Amino acid sequence: MSTYLTKRLLYMLVILFAASLLIFCLYASTPGDFITGNIKLTAERKAELREIYGLNKPMLERYGIWMNNAFHGDFGYSLAQQKPVLQLFNDYIWNSFLLAAVSTFLTWVIAVIVGVISAYKQYSWFDTLVMVAIFAAMSLPSFFIGLFLIKILAVDLKWLPPGGMITTGSNATGLAYLKEVVRHMALPVVVMTLLGLGSLTRYFRSNMIDVLKQDYIRTARAKGLKERKVLFTHALRNALLPAITLVGFELPALFGGSLIIEQIFNWPGIGQLYMKSFGLRDYPLLMGFTMFIAILTVIGTLLSDILYRVADPRVRL
Amino acid sequence: MEANSRMTGLHESRVQRQKSSLFRQSLKRLMKNKLAVAGFGVVVCMFVLCFIGPFFSPYTDNKINMTLMNKAPNLQHLLGTDALGRDILTRVMQAGRISLTVGLASMLLSVFIGALLGAIAGYYRGIADQVIMRIADLLMTIPSLPLLFIFGALLSEWKVRADYRMYIVMLMLSIVNWPGLARMVRGQMLSLREREFMQAAVVLGLRDSRKLFHHLLPNVVPLLIVMATLNIGGAILSESVLSFFGLGVMPPTPTWGNMIDAANNMIDFQDHPWLWIPPGLSIFATVIAINIFGDGLRDVLDPKQKR
Amino acid sequence: MRKSTLVLSTLLITGSMLLAACSDNNNSNTATGNTPTSATADSGGTAGTEATASPAPVSAGALSEPFTATDLTKLPAVAQNRTDTIIVGLTDPSGAFTPYFQESGYDGNVSSLLYASLVTVDDKGVPTPELAESWDVSDDQLTYTFHLRKDLKFSDGSPLTADDVAFTWTIQYDKAYDGGSSLPSLNVKGGKAYKEGTAKTVEGIKVIDPQTISVTLEKPNATALVTLGSNVLSKAYYGKDYKFGQLDYIKKLHEHPLGDGPYKLEKFLPGQEVRLTANENYFKGKPKTEHFIYKTSEGDVWQFLETGEVDYASFSASEENIEKLKALGFVNIIPYTPSTYGYMQVNLKHEQLKDKEVRQAIMYGLDRQSIYVDAQQGAGAIANIPASPISWAYTEEGINPYKYDPEKAKQLLDAAGWTVGANGIREKGGKPLSIHYLGSKSKNTDIFIAVAKENFEALGIEFQPEVFADFNSLVSKVEGGDYDLVSFSTSMLTDPADGFMQFFDGEITDYDNPKFLELYNKALATTDIEQRKAVYKELYQLFNDELPILFTSYKKTVYAYNGRIQNLTVSPFIGLAGSLPEWTLK
Repeated sequence: MSTYLTKRLLYMLVILFAASLLIFCLYASTPGDFITGNIKLTAERKAELREIYGLNKPMLERYGIWMNNAFHGDFGYSLAQQKPVLQLFNDYIWNSFLLAAVSTFLTWVIAVIVGVISAYKQYSWFDTLVMVAIFAAMSLPSFFIGLFLIKILAVDLKWLPPGGMITTGSNATGLAYLKEVVRHMALPVVVMTLLGLGSLTRYFRSNMIDVLKQDYIRTARAKGLKERKVLFTHALRNALLPAITLVGFELPALFGGSLIIEQIFNWPGIGQLYMKSFGLRDYPLLMGFTMFIAILTVIGTLLSDILYRVADPRVRL
Repeated sequence: MEANSRMTGLHESRVQRQKSSLFRQSLKRLMKNKLAVAGFGVVVCMFVLCFIGPFFSPYTDNKINMTLMNKAPNLQHLLGTDALGRDILTRVMQAGRISLTVGLASMLLSVFIGALLGAIAGYYRGIADQVIMRIADLLMTIPSLPLLFIFGALLSEWKVRADYRMYIVMLMLSIVNWPGLARMVRGQMLSLREREFMQAAVVLGLRDSRKLFHHLLPNVVPLLIVMATLNIGGAILSESVLSFFGLGVMPPTPTWGNMIDAANNMIDFQDHPWLWIPPGLSIFATVIAINIFGDGLRDVLDPKQKR
Repeated sequence: MRKSTLVLSTLLITGSMLLAACSDNNNSNTATGNTPTSATADSGGTAGTEATASPAPVSAGALSEPFTATDLTKLPAVAQNRTDTIIVGLTDPSGAFTPYFQESGYDGNVSSLLYASLVTVDDKGVPTPELAESWDVSDDQLTYTFHLRKDLKFSDGSPLTADDVAFTWTIQYDKAYDGGSSLPSLNVKGGKAYKEGTAKTVEGIKVIDPQTISVTLEKPNATALVTLGSNVLSKAYYGKDYKFGQLDYIKKLHEHPLGDGPYKLEKFLPGQEVRLTANENYFKGKPKTEHFIYKTSEGDVWQFLETGEVDYASFSASEENIEKLKALGFVNIIPYTPSTYGYMQVNLKHEQLKDKEVRQAIMYGLDRQSIYVDAQQGAGAIANIPASPISWAYTEEGINPYKYDPEKAKQLLDAAGWTVGANGIREKGGKPLSIHYLGSKSKNTDIFIAVAKENFEALGIEFQPEVFADFNSLVSKVEGGDYDLVSFSTSMLTDPADGFMQFFDGEITDYDNPKFLELYNKALATTDIEQRKAVYKELYQLFNDELPILFTSYKKTVYAYNGRIQNLTVSPFIGLAGSLPEWTLK
């Protein structure tokens, strides 16, 4: 196991290095740079600015500079926002994380419960209804659900605010602040949960169906164990086990932010910031953020491989 | 599926007869699943409507008519008209042709690539596994947004006609998006390899290809079907994303995605529901139907259920 | 798989953001409360122009008169409860609130409230005094002398003097200065030497006494007064750590601005709000409303206005929008025509568009009425000259309106030698007549392409549209020269000369007409408005006939705001900033 781990960690570093090079080249070869968009500048001024920002240097040299700085913990200044990249992360990522963490938690809880019940009652009216509802949630564009909920709950009924994270101009602190944020995040969390629910519920349902057909379940039932005990101690644990491998894959999503949701609900998250930065070709911010997500992805992959082994000891790593 | 397998002639070998009965059995079981049949029916209807429907419409030329702007459904225009006075029913049907084709094609391609690479990695392990999975790891770290723009710029540079661009981009996306599925298939393969029946297959000295295609892959098919059906909805939606970035179908040609996108603000959403309901409902119905059908198919094809 | 689907669908709505950040091409109600950006505001104003001639009244779409709220009791409780706070939506302030060092126009909106200028412009675009009481321009148009008001103070109570002005100008000539200000292109005497490090100060900048400062240029520039007369940075605050070639320290001060404008920064919540409080040291007196908040709101602000979360929003002036706004009952609505115009840049290097006749044929053959007026439900008007209808130089005299006339277009094409070939496409010398069009991805571009495709087909022109989701991609394609037509919109135009800007800042380089240059310079050589008007009329007629760019449309907008707000006016050139200190809540 430990040799396996060292090997994997080494691979991770190599992959991250390759990824950083690839990603840097990708961004650098996207048409237009940070200066291009400002068509009011004269050609001389454009050249001057490119000189100042080092955009006129060859791609590989720029990559070298970036990498060197990154090794020294300097991820640069955002060109468009005029702030250190790390400070921007700190400003925005936690807001995205809050949404993602809460909705991921809800998604998993609901998916497990609904998946297990509908598997247990396979082909019942409940199962059918659940499946149709799940597919329905998966088949709608997210902006549609978002606008729909805003219209009903915020504009017509005025139960919840239409967007933002706090009431504009509010100076609430402590419990009052918490309450405000919870009210504001209710709608986006509902939408994100709805969107994620479908595939996960389906996953749990089919796992559970498989498990329920296994011999050991039959044995347990034959032993005369209570149905509830069969279901929750024997079946559920085995149905859940493979799912922990998915945990690793959730990692980058937790920090990546959701663009549509953030935009519709006016949530101050990193997803919006990334999109804007891309439009402006704000290279330091783009590189910083993408590499951050890349690191999380690689770690998440490793995590899920390890968990896989934990969940299914038959698998040799 | 092949219709001739239903005819069991005297000259046919035993194996073939066995296959045919297997197929019949599956079909029978599928027919019993009312929901799945209904789903299949809806998908067929959708295809028929989109591919044949426009021939019966008087508005196929998509003529712009400013006097008919944003009109609610009426007798001349059963589903109303859009912001340029074009008939929405006709456009929904024409859009369906492109959306369905693109959805199916890109789904098939990415499932094929993902399954193939995943199976190879999971079965042969060793070098092949390392190479494939490390490439997958690398690809998974790459953001798709700049990739799309670079594709777009390249195609624009190569003067590929705008009408064809979207198909190429779609293909490229399928090619880039295989890692997730490949990982999943590989995982299944790894765990299947260790099962008793595979050990039996090894003891029996079966050939690699036989082990792979007769014993391992059929066990992965249910997973593939789930993934494929999940994917098709995503593909239909991602088509609209491509159009949005100017990499998709050029504007006068409708797709479900770009039609829905036209109502992407509160004002149209509230006041012109006929702009987004027809394409929205089409995507909705199609994706639900495909999913339900896929689910039924999975139940039928799952080898574990044949006990 | 799940990942790919997610990633893709996240992109779905994003394009509007890409566009909102850079192009003014879409009439959709994205940017709200959008005062001119620092970049656009400082272009314009000829030296010592005298105010005359009021602009022709222009109605915005279906709304010709301001509309007053009918039923303030409908105002949502949230808005009702605000007594000393006004909230305006703003797309995306990033927190770089130091003038001259900001990259986003939205930050410019914020800093226009934090900092006052030496010189501002009135509703007609004529420079008027602000921090500077008066100014003199030497006869050779090279030396500008500003006389500051007495007892000017920054918001912390420290005095504002000519030294601060000199500092502000000087650092823009630092070799490390990377902002978008156009001051460096004014060629202040000695600026170059300073930048190269061969001089300790900028020679042309002279502090005469604490209230007086003069600056000398190397050559006359019509936009100099307004460019020079912009915001003032405190030397004591921003210049404390200044060393030549070192400007990085200023970045740390971006979120802690020290200004002299009507408001000062209370708190910046990234991605959420910019909270401002009234500045008691403002030279015109403390503003009437204590708190002002710019709320970050991307895209659709309708729901925020409807629920009372914001007090002010702009919408395209379509009949439908206006009806909806009127039905709300609690908003006042004012019509507004931005001082911009839309146009298509023509690739004059390409054979097919070199002929004036072909360009004219396109103007006749394109149904601009349908594209820009009817499809917008009246939220637009057709442009035929490079000036906004609110400009004092605007004229329709001797201007060809190019009414939609496909027959005339065909005649022109025939006359130019483009005859219909075998497959219905016109040819000349074996080359087919094909137009490669570039546009930003937006609803309006979709409309344009749909109509233009029909129009061009009828003329026998092959039409190849290409759309770009972001402005940078579009511009780099244009820079590559691979296009025939490309849609653009100008930024805010103050002086009529600004309407020709794209011919001088390097965007359009291949239009070579001595007559144009002669007239352009003639119009700038005088300060007499009647004389200038006459020259511009001639110039507009020339452009209207020659069509070095194809004119498309004017936008029409409405502003809707909480009916309780009093004294609100929107200037075409400085937006809200001018009247904001006067706003009160009824």
